[in-house]
Amino acid sequence: MEAESEFKEYYAKNMRGISGWFKARVYTIERWLYAAHRITGILIVLFVLAHFYSTGWHPGLWWDALLGIIVTFHTANGIRLILAELGFAVGKPLLIKKPSQRPVSIEGVQRYVVVFALVLFVVLAAIWAYYALVVQPMMG
Amino acid sequence: MASEEAKEYVLPPEVLEETMKASEELWKPVRKIKFRIYKYNPRKDYAPYWEEHELEVSRGMTVLDALLIIKGEADHSLGLRYSCRMGLCGSCAMMINGKQMLACQTRVLEAAGSGDVVELRPLDNFPVERDLAADFTSFFEKHRAVKPWIIRNDDVELNNPTGPYKQTVDEYARYYQFTDCIKCGACLSACPTAATDYEYLGPQALAQAYRYIVDTRDNGLDVRISVVDTEHGCWRCHFAASCSDVCPRGVDPAQGIQLLKKLLIKRKFGFKPHKPAEALPAKVKAEKKG
Ligand code: SF4
Ligand code: SF4
Ligand code: FES
Repeated sequence: MEAESEFKEYYAKNMRGISGWFKARVYTIERWLYAAHRITGILIVLFVLAHFYSTGWHPGLWWDALLGIIVTFHTANGIRLILAELGFAVGKPLLIKKPSQRPVSIEGVQRYVVVFALVLFVVLAAIWAYYALVVQPMMG
Repeated sequence: MASEEAKEYVLPPEVLEETMKASEELWKPVRKIKFRIYKYNPRKDYAPYWEEHELEVSRGMTVLDALLIIKGEADHSLGLRYSCRMGLCGSCAMMINGKQMLACQTRVLEAAGSGDVVELRPLDNFPVERDLAADFTSFFEKHRAVKPWIIRNDDVELNNPTGPYKQTVDEYARYYQFTDCIKCGACLSACPTAATDYEYLGPQALAQAYRYIVDTRDNGLDVRISVVDTEHGCWRCHFAASCSDVCPRGVDPAQGIQLLKKLLIKRKFGFKPHKPAEALPAKVKAEKKG
């Protein structure tokens, strides 16, 4: 009986739950960034917990590079988010709208900021990977 | 003039013919589309199920038109909500092929694209009322929570106005965009934060909070801050911008929320909000009369 009412409640509430974070296919690229930001954030917290347990612990060569990807993505996209939250690159409210006006906050300067964040991510991740895979092993 | 008989205006025959042809073209059935419709009555059914209907659609037919045909001819029990049929009332938002859209503003062929199936579901992240109709109780409560009306301290003037409040076009431009909201719920439904946080105020309510806060006639910043500057308020938004993407009215709530955050940050650094606009003396009118 209990299970049945829970089952009913699940459908009646119609909440997407965690799968809602990743339902990005039909939306704009910001939605992918949102999903990736969530995952990388959670992974960073997990790593930091392990890191607290033993500060000397490092996952090792390739995993270090992966950690780099996670951290640098979160940094680059984080910069984009901070800029947006400070009101940069989201445009000004319109006084005149076209018929079926598209939002200026995502189709204006924000487009360039997204590209900038992605380029920054690739550059930072490459530098990190270079250190993790080439410089670190050389130094032993 | 009065004696002259009003002539009935007749379209020139070639224009009439062209118009008839265009309208025929628009309403001529062109393709068979399969509609997959979500059926669920939480008071009766154990689980939702899908119903399929096939319909010959024309180029001009909207999803709402198709639904009404289905309701009239095939399944009278189909539950849906609509009112204006022209994108003004915000009743008919639903998931059309997985994306929040107004049924009355979306043409079937546009939704179907190159495929021939249109899948209709009630709005995500809203409780189901029945079939395609969602329950908006909590959505409206969230809207009410941000006090979407002009708040002022001068009760005397507010209750017995002596003239209109002063406002320039530039000041008007700060919030005009957000006044177009029709409370269709598409934005809250699309928001990934709302998918897991039931109490998140949501893009609609937050954009309206911003709309009133920057209105120069309003003096309610402090009252509203206790609502928006909270755990379930504007800091929950991480600019996925899906709300702006789906908004059928170009309200751009994501922009409003970011600007709201900016305002809150500025305020933490000592920024003073605008002084509420004064009432213009109604003298101007009186003088003209005299
Ligand atoms: S902001 Fe747009 S999507 Fe949201 S309720 Fe208003 S009109 Fe609908
Ligand atoms: S911009 Fe904010 S409110 Fe809009 S969908 Fe994204 S997280 Fe939700
Ligand atoms: S019926 Fe009014 S918005 Fe669609």
